[in-house]
Amino acid sequence: MNRLIRSSALTWALGYVLLGIAALAAFAVPLWYAWNVTIFSGRQEILRDDAQRLTELFRREGVAGLTGYINARVGMQIAGERTLLLTDNAYRPLAGNLAAWPRDIPDQPGMHAVMADIAGQPTHTLLVRTTLPGGYHLLVGRDLALFLPLERRFTSGLLAAVLFLFVVGVAGAILIRRQLLARVEGIRQTVSAIMQGDLRHRLPMARTGDELDTLSQTLNGMLDHIEHLIRGISNVSNSIAHDLRTPLAELRSRLEELALTRPPATETFAEIDAAVADLDRVMRIFTALLRLAEIDSGARRSGFVRVDAAAVAAEVVEFYEPAAELKGVEFSFQAAGEAAVAGDPVLLAQALSNLIDNSLKSVHEHGAISVRVACRADGAVEIAVADDGPGIADADKPKATERFFRGDASRGSPGVGLGLSIVDAVAKLHGGALQLLDNHPGLLAQMVLPLSSAPP
Amino acid sequence: MKILIVEDNERVARFVTRGLREAGHTVTHANNGRDGMFIAASEQYDVIVMDRMLPGDVDGLAIIEALRKSGNRTPILILSALNEVDERIRGLHSGGDDYLTKPFAFGELLARVDALGRRSVDRGAERTLQVGDLRMDLLSRRVTRGSRSISLQPREFKLLEYLMRHANQVVTRTMLLEAVWDYNFDPQTNVVDVHISKLRQKIELDCEPALVRTVRNAGYMMSDRE
Repeated sequence: MNRLIRSSALTWALGYVLLGIAALAAFAVPLWYAWNVTIFSGRQEILRDDAQRLTELFRREGVAGLTGYINARVGMQIAGERTLLLTDNAYRPLAGNLAAWPRDIPDQPGMHAVMADIAGQPTHTLLVRTTLPGGYHLLVGRDLALFLPLERRFTSGLLAAVLFLFVVGVAGAILIRRQLLARVEGIRQTVSAIMQGDLRHRLPMARTGDELDTLSQTLNGMLDHIEHLIRGISNVSNSIAHDLRTPLAELRSRLEELALTRPPATETFAEIDAAVADLDRVMRIFTALLRLAEIDSGARRSGFVRVDAAAVAAEVVEFYEPAAELKGVEFSFQAAGEAAVAGDPVLLAQALSNLIDNSLKSVHEHGAISVRVACRADGAVEIAVADDGPGIADADKPKATERFFRGDASRGSPGVGLGLSIVDAVAKLHGGALQLLDNHPGLLAQMVLPLSSAPP
Repeated sequence: MKILIVEDNERVARFVTRGLREAGHTVTHANNGRDGMFIAASEQYDVIVMDRMLPGDVDGLAIIEALRKSGNRTPILILSALNEVDERIRGLHSGGDDYLTKPFAFGELLARVDALGRRSVDRGAERTLQVGDLRMDLLSRRVTRGSRSISLQPREFKLLEYLMRHANQVVTRTMLLEAVWDYNFDPQTNVVDVHISKLRQKIELDCEPALVRTVRNAGYMMSDRE
């Protein structure tokens, strides 16, 4: 019960019940007021008129005339009819349907609501008391009990409505709460399971498309992302371990062998040079990893300036031109005017340089590489490098930007398998994406940097 | 040249000191920031090599700033294990003249120390550069070798200018990348080598003596001496 009281569903339901009651009250109070003002006072008016008319009759026709009139009227036995009583100055009844002068009626003339004995029943009655000439007393009244059922019905209707609201509200709250609680409990269990380390769990979905479902969907998306990141981290750790261990193992065996065999000086120095080369390879991987971490942290975004991607690309292309020429590769560049983005010119240059570098390594002699910078219709800037090399197998494309991933095609070539990771990270840093497409044959790698990244 | 090394790691300091001495320089070593500051302020050096992380949590940059404030204009090469672009920029802003990331090849350090030392000698604005019979007119941007006129692309001109300004010194590929192209990343292909060989084809015809030499494990050197 305690949990029920603390439940937010119940609180809400009670809130709505109170709101319903307030709405009912807002409806009933003016009605009650209107009832009292118009009907009740109208009734008083009629009673006063009646008393007035009877007084006139008395003046014109005297005691006998009024007595006759009253007796005739009482004799008609109209339901809900007036309560009438004419007495002499000693309050002895002369005519009317009241057995005796009511005891608790005040002395002064006017309108009084009193309990009067009507046919032996004490009845709530509204009476107009008039004193006629000669000390006669006249009472004209109306049995208020006639309206009592109506009032009672109105009040009990109101109470029934309140009760109905309350019952339905609480029952609804309990039902909603039970269902909500079942789903929240499902979510809680899943989350606990995830917290205990099993990231494969996903939140249950009711497929109703309601708010809880939307929330679950968003959380599932977040879990997908976290799982991907964690798997990425463990992949990276494994890859780092593997890719750093290989040159380190080589280095170690080289040095150990030197210490053991103590070869002649020239050979020793050659081995030392090779050892330094091994170390440089390790350092290159380190530098690339640190650069990636630096990009991923997003810290570089604070230094974004307005960059003409076309100009940056032109410089990188010029930088690689001699290398392409040397390999006999047809190297072309096209840009249509300025392509402004908000970005880091050095990182953009590095990203493009990595793409060109990859293409240069993969194309055959006399192949072709084309670099293109274009502003798309939606304002996004596209930096694309297309080659006619072996490309990347479709199955490998999603993995190509993963750290240390090396496709079969590039396995024999130099490089540490971080080039495309850096391009991808740079594109993401700029709010864009790296797309790897088929160039039929070859690879079409394009960075799409959205308009939003361009400052005014 | 007289060189001051402020470096707390004994092994690195010994390695650098020995290397620089072998290269013919006079080397003083300080193994903490206070001594370094004191020595740098009391004696004139041609180049100071300053480690960034010194004992007692002293940042080498603070020492550099203090030196610059006291009017010391000695060229300073910063050594640092911090390679983020921002750190490099901070280093250069604090008054350092060049920035080298640890670990480094000794050849790289030597080349950069030489370049810095040379800068302190001839800071004047020359109008022509000359190496052997190769002449470069910086105003008209004309390059001639003997009587032969050589036409160069703007970037080739910049590359040659850098090599000529550092004639008889080793310049590394990284130094060229930073100075000529403004790139501080490592292009995996030997692109710089290709640029150099293309430049050599223009300035060294078959019959002419070579001017640019490849220095093994270090970089290049422009010189008219054999």
